[in-house]
Amino acid sequence: MNRFLDWLDDRSGIRGLVKEALYEKVPGGARWRYVWGSCLTFAFFTQVVTGTLLWMSYSPSAQTAWESVYFIQYQVWGGWFLRGVHHYMAQAMIVLLVLHLMQVMIDGAYKAPRELNFWFGIALMGVTLALSLTGYLLPWDQKGFWATAVATNLVAEVPFVGPMLQKIIVGGVEYGHQTITRFFAFHAGILPAALIGLVVGHIYLFRKHGIHVKEPRPKRDSYFWPDQILKDGVACLAVMLAVIVLTLYFKGAPLGPPADPSNEFPARPEWYFLFLFQLLKYVPAFWGAIIIPLALGLLIFIQPFIGASRKGHQFNIGFWWCLLAGAAGLTFLAFSEDQANSNHVAAVREADWQAQRVIQIAEEEGIPPTGAVTLLRQDHENRGRRIFAAHCSSCHRYNGHDGRGYSVEEDPSAPEMAGFASKEWLTKLLNYEHYTSLEYFGGTAFKDGTMAKKVLKKFDQEEQELLPEVALLLSDLANLPYQEPLSEEKKENLMDIFYDDLVCIDCHDIDSEGEGSAPDLTGYGSKKWMIDFIINPEHERFYGKKNDRMPCFGRDNKLSFEEIEIVVDWIRSRPAGK
Amino acid sequence: MNKKSTLNQDSADNPKECCSEESRRKFIVVSTLGVSAVCGIFPIASGITTILDPVKKSAGNQAKVSWTKVAPLQNLTDDGKPAKFEVILEQVRDAWTTYKNVPVGAVYLTRKGDEVKAFNLKCPHLGCAVDFRSKSNDYFCPCHNSTFGLDGSVADANSPSPRGMDTMDTKVEDGVVWIRFQQYRPNIAEKIPLS
Repeated sequence: MNRFLDWLDDRSGIRGLVKEALYEKVPGGARWRYVWGSCLTFAFFTQVVTGTLLWMSYSPSAQTAWESVYFIQYQVWGGWFLRGVHHYMAQAMIVLLVLHLMQVMIDGAYKAPRELNFWFGIALMGVTLALSLTGYLLPWDQKGFWATAVATNLVAEVPFVGPMLQKIIVGGVEYGHQTITRFFAFHAGILPAALIGLVVGHIYLFRKHGIHVKEPRPKRDSYFWPDQILKDGVACLAVMLAVIVLTLYFKGAPLGPPADPSNEFPARPEWYFLFLFQLLKYVPAFWGAIIIPLALGLLIFIQPFIGASRKGHQFNIGFWWCLLAGAAGLTFLAFSEDQANSNHVAAVREADWQAQRVIQIAEEEGIPPTGAVTLLRQDHENRGRRIFAAHCSSCHRYNGHDGRGYSVEEDPSAPEMAGFASKEWLTKLLNYEHYTSLEYFGGTAFKDGTMAKKVLKKFDQEEQELLPEVALLLSDLANLPYQEPLSEEKKENLMDIFYDDLVCIDCHDIDSEGEGSAPDLTGYGSKKWMIDFIINPEHERFYGKKNDRMPCFGRDNKLSFEEIEIVVDWIRSRPAGK
Repeated sequence: MNKKSTLNQDSADNPKECCSEESRRKFIVVSTLGVSAVCGIFPIASGITTILDPVKKSAGNQAKVSWTKVAPLQNLTDDGKPAKFEVILEQVRDAWTTYKNVPVGAVYLTRKGDEVKAFNLKCPHLGCAVDFRSKSNDYFCPCHNSTFGLDGSVADANSPSPRGMDTMDTKVEDGVVWIRFQQYRPNIAEKIPLS
């Protein structure tokens, strides 16, 4: 072994190199405050290795980016853990950057003769942030897609060349293959290469000037090896543990539903960019994205010179504390505003639902070459919710919301549709108080109609007690997938109530050819009945001329037959509250 | 953490504890090496399984080859002359994409009465496409000159192919020929399925 090392040393001078690297003097002894640079190096090393491993299964195109990330997350052995480490280490890097920067500022390590190294550090920070920004898009999920749309629109604010620059970065006008391939080239090629180059310069300059020590020195001088390296290593270990804990706790990195420009999603950047996002609520984009960052950048650039005097140094430290506090405040505002906004909360919940749904379908059916987004677009469950939200929810509600979980500001002007035609739904319908409430016909002309004023209101105690039986009968006609059918015997008994006790048959037909003045209840609530009703509620079978504002969706071609069928299936598929 | 540094300082400053100073240093060196090793291994360890994934998935996953329709029986002549057919699988899952109706290869089918034999078009030597020569009534691989008889066996002692042409399960149902399409490891005498 020794002979081999002698040979190697003779040919390469490796011993001197290692000595040079390890026996760097640490004036004043090893200290915990010097660990951040090593932690950042460790974090970057982790990103390079885990990123390369991810690269082995990642495919950058509009139809395969989400799909391959889904593959990594849910199919590849240990893929979720790998993604989690890459994702949370990126966030750890941002935190470490701030710690490193503040240590340098407070200790005054940015001042002459270390100006150049300070600038290298600031450039490294920029590259790291650019890496986060480009990486955010790569899974090509809703979150990355919409947030990147915002970020790249800000590029257009650059004077003169902005729109051209935007086209170059996006790879055209629309977001697609070219956007991903370009972002990927930046994320996995250009930016890491730039970062490595800058780190080499950064470390070279650091070694040239040595560690900057605040006087008085706390201890005797010591060497980088092993005292400082042990401290550095323990700190890296702590970073590593934090990342592992986050990965295990959140079961890897999140993956939203696949990007879909036709499916709205509230764009939010990663948490460490939220302050910039919030800033754009108060200032014009040109100021928020160009002028302010430029001005701050310029100020930061000359900080080594400002810091030459005692007062200047204090100003610099104060500046960074203010910047951090401002960013923290804006971040807090962004979070709390989103939490207080019920529509935002609903949108996040809806996206979670879509993600779960598409993953479920992908597992069952596989993903077609057109991409996972088609799975979601063709999924009847998803379409049912969306059709209801788009065409029904301005009057009807579903569990009190618009079908997807968004609240609607106006009061409902038509009956609640969740659990339509179920026992519970009908029992409430046949109660005068409920019938005339906003949950049913309170917002319609039927509130003062014959059924309300001349029938339900007039029933005596004994008759009222029979109403739940009628609800049972009608609900059985609906043939809902989640309700047990009644026995023939029971049905006949209930028919007697319908015909003889309460004489509903005077106005409503069931299996009869009568000319009832009220809606025909033959097959009430069944798939066919509902489809026919939605096609044309003004048909004689239903409301006829008494129809109050319900559009004739099929007759007037507002919805296709297929769409009506989908929304009917969706309404009938589950009881209220689910 | 400051407590620890002061402790170290104390022992270092006290000349009587020279031996404990030595063991302290040894302890630091060993723990530094240990900690560095853990940090160095961590990145690759966190993702090594993803590289090994294909090996893991293929283990013990060979039995399930589904039946595939190839051709109507009437398209085969009864004289034992082979005819070539494309094999189109209804569904193929390639990592994250599922394709429908994918051509995955081709077979020669020969028929004697109701009995159908299927030979993979791929030469078991190194995977070239084998031709059927009607003049000499045998199979011939144009890459390395392997020849096979009509029954698929190696016909010439000089053939580089270590085994005869690969057969696969066939069945005839309602006048349609079905096969279980399977590939095997090339260039060895045994038939070991690839999966």
